[in-house]
Amino acid sequence: MKRTLAIVLSLLGSVSVSVSVFAAVGRTEPALREVGPPIGPLMAPDTGGGELLVVVVGGVYPTRAEAEAVNETMPFGDMSGYYVAPVAQFQGFDQDIGSPGDFALVSAFRTEQGALDFVGLARSFEYPARILPARVRSLGGVYTGLGQEASPDGTGPLTHPVPESLP
Amino acid sequence: MRAKVGGFLRRHRRRALPLIAAMVLTMPLLVGWHWAKLGWRDWHYNYPSVSNGYTQIVNRFGQPCSAAARAVYMYWRAADTGMTYTVRFHRKLGGYPTQMVTGKGGASTNLDNDVYGHIKNDHLGQNVKHGIYGYACRYKRNGTSWSTHAFGIAIDLSSAEEYMGKTYSTTNYRFAPIFQGHGWMWGLSFNDPMHFQYATGY
Repeated sequence: MKRTLAIVLSLLGSVSVSVSVFAAVGRTEPALREVGPPIGPLMAPDTGGGELLVVVVGGVYPTRAEAEAVNETMPFGDMSGYYVAPVAQFQGFDQDIGSPGDFALVSAFRTEQGALDFVGLARSFEYPARILPARVRSLGGVYTGLGQEASPDGTGPLTHPVPESLP
Repeated sequence: MRAKVGGFLRRHRRRALPLIAAMVLTMPLLVGWHWAKLGWRDWHYNYPSVSNGYTQIVNRFGQPCSAAARAVYMYWRAADTGMTYTVRFHRKLGGYPTQMVTGKGGASTNLDNDVYGHIKNDHLGQNVKHGIYGYACRYKRNGTSWSTHAFGIAIDLSSAEEYMGKTYSTTNYRFAPIFQGHGWMWGLSFNDPMHFQYATGY
């Protein structure tokens, strides 16, 4: 009887000691730091229809198949690089580059800085990259990389038109 | 002269071989000591925890393409072409003032002091070939989810030689353990041996 009592008392004692220790070292869960809602991870394709865009060109080819074949040989590591687009989806493209073909390897931007950053990236991979001398008007069409540039206010990607891109 | 040296080695092979072996083993240590002599040491100061998955990356490093993602820069020279690249990266991964790094407003010593310093100290810089890039505001290839480069937590080294899709490494393997020892994941596990990122599961 005494032995049973001793066992029960020691069990109760150890449980109360454990609870006390947990209560003593326990902390309130720290609040999550506020960083705003996450952007993405999947972004809706933005074609910037009607906007005046800065376009970086990696080459112009007679057919889509040729342009896509060349693009396959120009990977940017795990990052997206050039997009294949018909030159006709940019009003003013022909004026700036002539008419050597109907399909181009391009990446479009709303700011000059975004275009310059991409040119730096392309050149580090030793790929051709040329910024069209004047902004061209996007007529919509296929996605050409818009939105992949930093917002001038430093908060994240630029996902909306800026004064320079508005007609 | 060559014949004399050859003759000497043949005659004293027993004594010469251990001596040569000792020189081969100690030479890297002696040469490596030189970079440390300049004042470099591995600080391991204020490393952020390694994020797992997109949500943790955003919670820890903020939005992609933010000012913090490209706040710190360093120069990295390709050993084969001699071209010097400007590598930008997140302020939580470097830019803290040390003996080798001038203060750039960064919060830790990870990439520019510790990883780069280790590579220099071990005389492995000769294995970093051309094609070097850090921060880039780009999606992942063939997708619309952000690349780890957009957060400033990834770096590509020797991109021409260690191209994406390659299932083995011919140069980056020599210094990859240094990156891995400082919290970085090596892209060889997904056939991208040029790529190192400070995150997993993304």
